[in-house]
Amino acid sequence: MQIIQLAAETATQVSAISGNLGVLGYGIATIGPALGVGLVVSKTIESIARQPEMAGRLQVTMFIGVALIEALALIGLATPFIFTA
Amino acid sequence: MLDDVKSVMQRVLKLGALLVLVITLVGSGVGFLVAGNPGVLAALAGGLLALLFTGLTALSVLIGSRFGLTGFMGAVLGGWVFKMVLFLVIFSLLSRAEWLTTQARPIVFFTIVAAVLGTLILDSLLIAKARLTPVVQSDK
Repeated sequence: MQIIQLAAETATQVSAISGNLGVLGYGIATIGPALGVGLVVSKTIESIARQPEMAGRLQVTMFIGVALIEALALIGLATPFIFTA
Repeated sequence: MLDDVKSVMQRVLKLGALLVLVITLVGSGVGFLVAGNPGVLAALAGGLLALLFTGLTALSVLIGSRFGLTGFMGAVLGGWVFKMVLFLVIFSLLSRAEWLTTQARPIVFFTIVAAVLGTLILDSLLIAKARLTPVVQSDK
């Protein structure tokens, strides 16, 4: 019985949350680029550890990967200019 | 002729800046037609932001490549986080700016997207063309 009461109270509180949805949007938009950069960096470190002589080539290849991922992040940050409330 | 990371990234920076300048000029023209003077300002703001954004990444790779693996990752990832915070603040201020009219707002977005996608294509082409020699790097 207590659990049902608690659930009802929580539901009331959740429905009462208000504010700027852009905050949630930013939070969701960071997930993809964060995972992407993490993967690119980890694989580059692994590759350089395996073949240190390839460091130069791997660094510029990583630059392309990071640039592509951050383009996605930048577009996510700039969307308030087209999505107006 | 064989290249090194420094010469490739310098080329990326120079030609990228030139491309963003051209896109900003085109964006200013379109912005003027769509929204008048605020449209020109919006395109200039978008171009400047795109230049800062793409330039800082290339610059962080250029600087980081001098310091071995640890320094490289520190410069690139540290620069990345710094840049994101900087842009969050700039976009927050820009979205409240009064001189940016409703008609001019999409110009900022489309100038940024066009400039970033353009520089991405240019970067990919430049790096695909570059002839990097395998060299053992010291981590000191």
